[in-house]
Amino acid sequence: MSHAANEMSRAVRSLETVRNSKKLLPSFFSRENAENRKVAWCMQGVPTELLEAFDLMPEWPENFGALCAARSVAPRFIAAAESEGFSSELCSYMTNTLGYCKRYCDLGTEPPESPPQGGMVHATMLLGSGYLCDPRIKWFQTIGTRYFDIPVFNSDPMSPPIDRDIDDPRMIDHHMQHLRADLKDQVAFLEKHTHKKFDVNRFREIMSISQKSIESWRRVYDLRKVKPCPMGSEDYFSCVIPQMFMLGKEEALTFFEKVYDEVKDRVDRGVGVLKDEKYRLAFYGLPPWHNLGFFNYLESLGAITVFEGAYYIGPPVDIDLDDPLEGLAERIWKNACWHHRTSAEAMPEICNPALQQGIGSKLLLRLIREYDVDGVILHRTRSCRPWSWGQVHYRTLLEKEGIPALIFESDMTDVRMWSDSKVKAQVEPFMETIAQLKYGKID
Amino acid sequence: MGKSAVHGLERLNDLYNRKESVAKEYRKQGKKIIGYLCYFAPPELISAAGMVPYRIMGRMDDEIIQAHNYVEPLGCPFIRNCFEQDLKGNLDFLDGRIIPHSCDTAQRLYGIWKYYKSASYNYCLNVPHKVTPWSRDFFKRELHFFKESLEKYGGVEITDEALRNAIRLYNENRAMVRELYDLRKEQPPRLSGSDMFKTLIVGMAIPPEEFNALLKEILAEVKNRPRGGEMLPRILFWGCIIDDARLFELIEESGSWIVSDDTCIGTKSYLRRIDTSHGLMEGLAKGYFEEFRCPRTDRGPDIHRFDYVLDLVREYDVQGVIGYTLSFCDPFKLDYPDMRDYLSENEIPMLLIDDDYSLSHLESIRTRVEAFIEILE
Repeated sequence: MSHAANEMSRAVRSLETVRNSKKLLPSFFSRENAENRKVAWCMQGVPTELLEAFDLMPEWPENFGALCAARSVAPRFIAAAESEGFSSELCSYMTNTLGYCKRYCDLGTEPPESPPQGGMVHATMLLGSGYLCDPRIKWFQTIGTRYFDIPVFNSDPMSPPIDRDIDDPRMIDHHMQHLRADLKDQVAFLEKHTHKKFDVNRFREIMSISQKSIESWRRVYDLRKVKPCPMGSEDYFSCVIPQMFMLGKEEALTFFEKVYDEVKDRVDRGVGVLKDEKYRLAFYGLPPWHNLGFFNYLESLGAITVFEGAYYIGPPVDIDLDDPLEGLAERIWKNACWHHRTSAEAMPEICNPALQQGIGSKLLLRLIREYDVDGVILHRTRSCRPWSWGQVHYRTLLEKEGIPALIFESDMTDVRMWSDSKVKAQVEPFMETIAQLKYGKID
Repeated sequence: MGKSAVHGLERLNDLYNRKESVAKEYRKQGKKIIGYLCYFAPPELISAAGMVPYRIMGRMDDEIIQAHNYVEPLGCPFIRNCFEQDLKGNLDFLDGRIIPHSCDTAQRLYGIWKYYKSASYNYCLNVPHKVTPWSRDFFKRELHFFKESLEKYGGVEITDEALRNAIRLYNENRAMVRELYDLRKEQPPRLSGSDMFKTLIVGMAIPPEEFNALLKEILAEVKNRPRGGEMLPRILFWGCIIDDARLFELIEESGSWIVSDDTCIGTKSYLRRIDTSHGLMEGLAKGYFEEFRCPRTDRGPDIHRFDYVLDLVREYDVQGVIGYTLSFCDPFKLDYPDMRDYLSENEIPMLLIDDDYSLSHLESIRTRVEAFIEILE
């Protein structure tokens, strides 16, 4: 099946730093020293700081899914997984990888249809995380059972249910005990399979860089409240790369400092992404990686997306790095607590060692006011229910606040569910509603 | 529920057809009825608090109308249907609602359900995904918190004696259900799979002591049946939650016997007992977490994680497996290809029925089931 590039398939980035990200983040984009390092396929939720401490070369199947989506090869891999009997309803990040593995096993090498950089560097271990969803519990189990006979570790960070008292010392102890044991088990697994001893001092340095990176990146969030908004989603969804995959690396820190400087400069000069910013929108859900030009399309209608409900990190938390592994556990828990307090009835799973979350309902309503948003676009991703579930409720809450909300359905990876004309047919009347509410007329 | 004019399987059918009104009768007697969504929440604890545990069930033939206003169409159709029943007032006889974190949809619906329709008691029981010593400890602490919460709600203390007694009653349920399963090892079996499933479904709706009384009657009746009957292919039923016997009836009407299963309401729950020799909570944690083989719990990357299914296949002399998956059920849908291939390696064919918890395509399912049974003959 071929999917010709359409109007929205490629995004034009606004920030120079982001346009240069391939040069600025060589260890991610160029896979430096891959041949000398053990390779772990990792899921979001594996602390990148631990990977750095063990000098592992990570490959990220979720990111590979986004890349395959952007290059329109994902449908071929997904079809290969479906031919094995994996349902088309399953997470397309996952079926993209399962199809890739199937093709790899059939051919004995990377499938030639892989994106330009080749496929993923072959793994010596699989590091999964039960954070977020059920498919992520099963994904590497399936690869380890069916395709590659390599060691698998799944971490299992447990989130407190929404109505638990997270200030109760017993509840804190309950979760911290489990978190610590889970992290220690992960370290023991990495020591065993890398044949390296965990270097606490090195890890402390890495954690320190990571903390500074988070602080630096998080400062950018506040700058986007300014009118005109200096940064849109087309840039944000590239900036999350070092946040998701590189925390603990100097490169990530430098990158975020540069992003901050560039965005701050725009703010100081009163420059926005749009010369004439008519509408301010929020985007909730996973992005359509195959059609990130969607955000440029919104801009062509005078609308800038000022915050996103995906990969959101809470404010930096103070942690004691004297025992850096304990510090990591503390950071995970404190971050989860922040999200717990800013969530309400509909809450994503919040205990994520890799920090970023979906935002809860209470936070969404707060940010709407803080960012002075005119409307919210919610992306219902058919194959990712955890990111989609709750959007109907969010829409209800937003509409109670007088904020128009549009839910449109496609998928994060599977471009077969995308149609420019269908998207336009939904977005245009939505923007008309916003125009009427804001300016009392159709623009 | 007192003296009844009908007994055994006749009484079973009566209870099966009016399980909700039976629960309502208990409520009229002043009992609190506590709904729980799945077996990660041990009903023993509810029973020990002097309340009636009732497993929340949906209505397969009921159209989803109201739930669309509150939750997305993409999500477990069983749980959405249960939510729909509550929105329509069909679960108003429940005083409390317990939703364990069994899967993504359950975890995420909990708060939304509570927001739009709060029960007088709401509780989300957390369940780890990995089986490790610290996960078991986590689950045990969860059980303690759950116990405390029930005590607070009911204004009662759940004594060790009460809990031990509840576990004993449920273990008696299990022992008798196992006896019924054993009778299905015969060829032909003296109890149909459909009647077995109805028994299990009724067992989820009545107190354990009442279930014991019913099981005794059914056992006596089935044991007294003469041997003989049609020699038909023997099926194992695998898959997601199902609380409606029509599919089982269809499979058996198509010329087979369902002689065993790998379902949460069947063998996963009943072919074991809660062992309290190392403590009451330890026993519950082992039975309801560690040994409860729901595919949502990670058991490592090994095809041998399905060996227990092959054991059932051999023990019950099964010729074919019919699987049932619900739309959007990630854990089962991810296990399916491995399960199918492993069975195939062991020369056991498998048919998969994928459904949206409506059985709306019953006739096309019948055609597929008949074709499948034909190849087993």
